Amino acid sequence: SKAAGKLTTGLTGLAVNSTPHISLTALYDRTLKLLARMPADAKYRQSTEAIVKERLAAVNSEPDISRLEKRINCGQIEEVVQQAERELQLARNFLAWKPWEPLIGQAPPNQWKWPL
Amino acid sequence: MINLKHILKLRSLPGATSCTSAFLKETLTAPACSRINASMISGFPTPMRRELCTEKKMPTVRYSDPAIREPLKAFGKYAGECLPKYIQSADVTIFDELEILIHPEGVLPVLSFLKDHHAGQFVNLSDICCVDVPSRQFRFEVVYNLLSLRYNCRARVKTYTDELTPLESCCSVFQAANWYEREVWDMFGVYFTNHPDLRRILTDYGFQGHPFRKDFPLVGYNEYRYDDEQKRVVIEPVELAQDFRKFEYSTPWEVFPNYRDADKNMRKEGGGDEK
Repeated sequence: SKAAGKLTTGLTGLAVNSTPHISLTALYDRTLKLLARMPADAKYRQSTEAIVKERLAAVNSEPDISRLEKRINCGQIEEVVQQAERELQLARNFLAWKPWEPLIGQAPPNQWKWPL
Repeated sequence: MINLKHILKLRSLPGATSCTSAFLKETLTAPACSRINASMISGFPTPMRRELCTEKKMPTVRYSDPAIREPLKAFGKYAGECLPKYIQSADVTIFDELEILIHPEGVLPVLSFLKDHHAGQFVNLSDICCVDVPSRQFRFEVVYNLLSLRYNCRARVKTYTDELTPLESCCSVFQAANWYEREVWDMFGVYFTNHPDLRRILTDYGFQGHPFRKDFPLVGYNEYRYDDEQKRVVIEPVELAQDFRKFEYSTPWEVFPNYRDADKNMRKEGGGDEK
């Protein structure tokens, strides 16, 4: 099965993914479900939904892996999977941290003043 | 300093063209000449902006590059909109470097965002350092330097803390933070909670004090020497052969007019000489 695709990613520790479409659709679907739980006016939700939906559309419409890599234009497909995993983890953490709320505290008046 | 009104007045006089050019040749030095462009001389004053200059730029000056600056500004603004809870400000410095100033509670969220988000991908933590400014309420300013390999871009995240308030360790986000945070703890005394192994890294095993603090003396408190009678290295209070001399490198003339206040404040806080 590997003869059809690439032999190696060329990156240490990153194995070739023989079914990237499955991995990506699963990750993106789970991310979208998490994003749906955030407030609709949160900038993070809006921009991440846009990015994820665009990539999901590319994955769903392009069955050929190397053409998909060129279309997404963000490195190899295994790296794209890594990025999707990271974004999913970030969305999980953001649901706990809720960073869209207003500023928790300003710095004291001369904290950032330089030169003194 | 070129007086625009002067040039314009000269231009309007009959036969002034030769007069103006003579005036320009006499009074202007080479760098100033390069900033004048055609529209100024024709009578319409334009703000002197380097970007509009069509003349050759000075090779020894590092000009601000809008191609680097604008995307950084845009990303800083975007980060501020995504994390309004923690980001106090996001600016691009005069040297085209993105700096994000955050509340100390926001270390993990902001660093996670920069690392994990698709638009950031700042996967590399280049450095964690600390700045001690004793006159501030929160004297320590902890600085995280990040690098995005995907977008060939650097960013800096700055927080603040004092001697007693701990910061959250970012070892769960960046493995590289382990030794950097140990160094900040050892040198400054900033404690990091949830650090896997926070202990001294550069100072000697029984060493007391935090050497990079501004109130720690340059020569330290103890000195080591080999004692022939005891046949081992002994630790004794430091004794200087001559008095510590502090040189005053000031000139009678003002060098930086823009930093007049800074100069006064530095003297107030004992930054100058006590003589």
